[in-house]
Amino acid sequence: MSHGGVALPKKERLILEFLTSGGPMYGLQLVEHSGGALKRGTVYVTLGRMEAKGLVESQQEPLPPGGIGLPRRLYRPTALGERMLRAWTAFTRELAWEVKS
Amino acid sequence: MTGANDGRRAPGTILLKIAALVFSDHVLSTVVQPTISDLQREVANAAPPGLTRLRARWRGYRAFWTLILIAPFVSWPSPTDEAGAVAFPEAIARLAIGSIVVTLLLIIGPVLGAWVAAVTAVGTLCAILIHAWYIRHPSDLAVPRGAHGRLPQINFSSTDVADNIGGLIFVVGSVFIVVIGVPSVIWFLSAATLAGGGVAWALAAWHASHPKNGLPENQIVLR
Repeated sequence: MSHGGVALPKKERLILEFLTSGGPMYGLQLVEHSGGALKRGTVYVTLGRMEAKGLVESQQEPLPPGGIGLPRRLYRPTALGERMLRAWTAFTRELAWEVKS
Repeated sequence: MTGANDGRRAPGTILLKIAALVFSDHVLSTVVQPTISDLQREVANAAPPGLTRLRARWRGYRAFWTLILIAPFVSWPSPTDEAGAVAFPEAIARLAIGSIVVTLLLIIGPVLGAWVAAVTAVGTLCAILIHAWYIRHPSDLAVPRGAHGRLPQINFSSTDVADNIGGLIFVVGSVFIVVIGVPSVIWFLSAATLAGGGVAWALAAWHASHPKNGLPENQIVLR
């Protein structure tokens, strides 16, 4: 269900919530914060999709001198991502209230 | 890029090379590299006891192979509208070929013995190497005039195949060879295999329910 491109899937909403409340995070930190809701094997697929939509942005950390391996990516929400989260939260709250009453 | 330093090699370097064969640069940088980076960071930060590091490696490798398994079935909008930013159709083709190779080796080993399986594995490796070499060095030989209408062909349908496990191996092997040689026909072969299986199943079901019908009047024996 795409809702004409304005839907916010559960995992994307969760990531936006973590990034908005906890500040910029690495992918692995998001997985650890989620308590099992996000998986290591798929979190970057979701983040990649969100980045393409403009909901988050990422930056490669500089590798320390003498360090080996690949640099990590630090993710933070964009202004669009924050607005999307606020709008979606208000929408679901409104919908829940409508259903209840 | 993988950061090998002072003779040390970070874990996941080979995984990255494997991924580079399968994925586009965009997927590699946004999805695969961060996954491997997590593996490397976790192993580096693990306490000295070997078991802790082993666990960290296990989690990282599991994440990588999970990604490899699900990636062909996932798609997301590309930051640009360029077609092919995500190389998943090619990844699917490679996964399909890999599955056929593994299936072939699994069937051949127990049925025809280790020697045949080894020869098949070596042949497979040679086919992949030849294909990879051809991709990197495409032929630029001039094609003579008039040759376009007379392409060499091998008609597999005229080959007699028995209705036993040997026949199955021959069919799977033939399909595999064609797919390795001409990867662009993989969709056609997949669709043809599915359609053929469907027709065979329907015929078998019809013959089972109408045992007397469907035989040719002159009783021509079909081989």
